Amino acid sequence: MNKISFLIFLFSTLISFSSKTDKVIARQGQVSFFSYTTAENIEAKNNQVLSIIDFSTNEIAISMLMNAFVFKKSLMYNHFNDSYIESDLYPKATFNGKIIDLDITKEGAQTRIAKGTLNIRNIAKEIEIKVIFENKKGSYSLTGDFEIIVKDFDIKIPPIVAPNIAEIISTKFIFEYQPYEK
Amino acid sequence: MKNNIFFLLLISVLIGTSVSVKAQDLLKIIDEEYPNTPQYEIATFKATRLSIGQSIENRKKGVLQLMVMNRYWNLPNNVQTQSFVADKWSARFGLEYGLTDKFTIGGGWTSLEDTYDGYLKYRLIRQQKNSKKHFASVTLFQNASYNGNSLEDTFSKKLAFTSQVLIARKFTPNFSLQIAPTFIYRNATAVNNDSNSHFAIGIGGRYKLANHVSLVSEYYHVTNPITTKDTYGAFALGVNWDVRFLMLQFQMTNTRSMVEDAFILQTPNNFNTEDGNFVFGFNAVFTLN
Repeated sequence: MNKISFLIFLFSTLISFSSKTDKVIARQGQVSFFSYTTAENIEAKNNQVLSIIDFSTNEIAISMLMNAFVFKKSLMYNHFNDSYIESDLYPKATFNGKIIDLDITKEGAQTRIAKGTLNIRNIAKEIEIKVIFENKKGSYSLTGDFEIIVKDFDIKIPPIVAPNIAEIISTKFIFEYQPYEK
Repeated sequence: MKNNIFFLLLISVLIGTSVSVKAQDLLKIIDEEYPNTPQYEIATFKATRLSIGQSIENRKKGVLQLMVMNRYWNLPNNVQTQSFVADKWSARFGLEYGLTDKFTIGGGWTSLEDTYDGYLKYRLIRQQKNSKKHFASVTLFQNASYNGNSLEDTFSKKLAFTSQVLIARKFTPNFSLQIAPTFIYRNATAVNNDSNSHFAIGIGGRYKLANHVSLVSEYYHVTNPITTKDTYGAFALGVNWDVRFLMLQFQMTNTRSMVEDAFILQTPNNFNTEDGNFVFGFNAVFTLN
């Protein structure tokens, strides 16, 4: 009897412990990508990227809809979604991982490494990204940039377009976080 | 003692699972944070024409589209032909411009019939993903054409008008289907007892074979065809290939004209491989932003 009550106690503490964690969320995060070639420059921006950081574990998750990327030319938007990313089949891109040695109490900017899994088109890649985490009097932001190799995600580019699309796409992100309340 | 070990094991398992599940949990939390904004279907078709007829697609604001449509065919019983490739060639040169994201204007000239055509296209409803209310896209189409080769004497008698309600649904990422109820009004008829008003229904589909290639087919059935001469339903089977700003549309068809009222109503031959009936078509569509 005693043991059962102890178990219940343990369970409840475990559950309360996990729900008490400090989470922050960014609802209008920005992710943009650039493809620079001598033939053509292509850029696109997504202003509706979601991100959550759990300060109790320093874990971070990022998720975005691929069809929310905005291009300068409407035809590029069609091709991006229909012919390259295939957003009907793979609507989201995600990242989940951990910011190593993050100290949220420290005021100002700190450069850290975020280590985790990038998932585009259902293909998962382990990556490390250099990020700048900033604590400005209790408001948090995360910025950084990294590179994506097009081939890694099985994106097929016909030879006739190859000169116009870079093999390595540079990507930038800015997230501004607010306290997360469920 | 035995109980204690079991207990420790249980705790370690609990802690272990709670840690390993965490990162995935964050992604799950995020999934519930997505706002309920409508998700529109993209690229039901890729060009403003399915193959020979109009599709629900239009051009976005400020986009200019240039198209050159070609039709090649042989004359029947033409034994002394010296023509290169084909006996006859007709071409339509057209422009299309997006005034707004929903409203497109266009026009063109066809060489063989000396026909001018102009049209308006308005995108009424866009299909949304997982929506019972917006399960299909609807585009309204209205054109007017002037046939310079017509034997009628006045300007207004050389005019014909086509109205279409284009209804299309993207069923899967690869497959889209379109139904097009059509009304055609001709100001003049060849013989007086022929009707000025005609109803037709068009059906067409696109199947995506690869990321840049799709198979398309279209058929138009006229419910009250012209009585004074034999006409047949317009049919096309083709392949569309698109890359960057260029789309090439190849088709096998029985239609020679490229203006709606003419090819829907006045296709004088059936679709088969005989000379005079078999028409090879080729459209080049350039999109300029």
